[in-house]
Amino acid sequence: MVKELEETVDVPVVHVCTVVPISLTVGANRIVPAVAIPHPLGNPDLEKGEEYILRKKLVEQALRALATEVSEQTVF
Amino acid sequence: MRLELGNIYVKDVQFGSQTEVKDHIVYINKEELLGVIEDDRLEGLDIDIVRPGDSVRICPVKDVSEPRVKVSGAGHIFPGWFDDAKTVGEGRTHVLKGMTVMTVGKIVGFQEGIVDMSGPGAEYSPFSQTINVVILGDKVEGLRQHEHEDAVRNAGLRAARYIGEAARDAQPDEILTFETKTLEQQLKEYPDLPKVAYVYMLQTQGLMHDTYLYGVDVKKILPTFIYPTEVMDGAIISGNCVSACDKNTTYHHLNSPVIFDLYEKHGKELNFVGVVLTNENVTLLDKERSSNYTAKLVKSLGVDGAIISEEGFGNPDADLIMNCKKLEAQGIKTVLITDEYAGRDGASQSLADGDQAANAVVSAGNANALITLPRMNKVIGYIDAVNVIAGGFDGSLQQDGSITVEIQAITGATNELGFNKMGAVGI
Repeated sequence: MVKELEETVDVPVVHVCTVVPISLTVGANRIVPAVAIPHPLGNPDLEKGEEYILRKKLVEQALRALATEVSEQTVF
Repeated sequence: MRLELGNIYVKDVQFGSQTEVKDHIVYINKEELLGVIEDDRLEGLDIDIVRPGDSVRICPVKDVSEPRVKVSGAGHIFPGWFDDAKTVGEGRTHVLKGMTVMTVGKIVGFQEGIVDMSGPGAEYSPFSQTINVVILGDKVEGLRQHEHEDAVRNAGLRAARYIGEAARDAQPDEILTFETKTLEQQLKEYPDLPKVAYVYMLQTQGLMHDTYLYGVDVKKILPTFIYPTEVMDGAIISGNCVSACDKNTTYHHLNSPVIFDLYEKHGKELNFVGVVLTNENVTLLDKERSSNYTAKLVKSLGVDGAIISEEGFGNPDADLIMNCKKLEAQGIKTVLITDEYAGRDGASQSLADGDQAANAVVSAGNANALITLPRMNKVIGYIDAVNVIAGGFDGSLQQDGSITVEIQAITGATNELGFNKMGAVGI
């Protein structure tokens, strides 16, 4: 999906994912590490407020990655 | 550590007035067994016996185990669960060979398997060739999934121990002896043969994708050593609700072909030094930590090579490759055992991760291959699960009772300990 969107639609794509090595193997260009496989964008162990901060940070990081020019596979 | 396995070959299993083994026939007092597995969390418990060749489909199969009893040596089968956590793996263990205890339950409907006792599906599961004591039951109203899994798992293990007890005084048909010495002695024993370790990866992703070691949840351990004979006494228990084709049932652990084959070649082609157990967890940090620790332990054994087996597929492919790369980087040669998800035509990328260091890989088959299983006269369990089972799809279950599924729905079809007849080769 990540590669297809970049190649056919020609838009930058950020892959937010837990297992970064797999993302590197499949060829994603902008990678943002996520929390865990069952809950990539959250953490049920945190208080609701703390989890919101974590989620917001992840989204902001992804947006930053989206707006950054890259010349090779980059993990943010 | 030295263990004798006394195998008693079972010709048939029947219900009888008392639980005993006589002339290679296992008789089970059904009422007594129902009493042994009784659990407040389960209702409508029943027991059925199925045999190879029967027109029977069992679905969804949860776990499979094997009746065993410790005749001498410390501890009990399945240590850490019922009595104590004494170290097992020494003395003598009797095994009722050719039969299993199989639990059925709609716990995580899409992640349990199918076993057909005849027809084309029977070619794919080792449990189509064994006589199976099938434990059926529903959860009580309101019981949560993980408690249901725990209740069913305990029922299966208790039944295997109860039936195994009947083999205590039976005369074994064969006695096989396995021995692994202390590391210092073991390394010296065959100084001219290559020294080999086994890295035994266990599925431990939480949410009922769990495996237990002496009763401990393996996702919470750091990688550790274990004697191979401890595994034969049930130190590793499956609590896994995951794709049926490549999960290791408790039976697979008890009978791991990797361990048996390494012993077979021990002293002839190689020096089998020991086993390192590791997990497959859900965060990148855990994966990095466990693979670092595994590489350190294997290095400390002073071996030349290691066999690494995976359990499951998808993100555990990353654990497999990390273990491979980190061992190879230390000069330890590796051979990996995995299966493939290469699409129904076999043309897609087989694993989620890969590396040039992974240059010796044994494949247990392509789990995406399609198969049509004809109608069986009898279905044990809940056949409607077929439409949602991993490897199945909406419409898998046909009106005539046949089903079309990927072989990943069949219990043990692409087992990554090699407990199957399939493989795949690169072309």
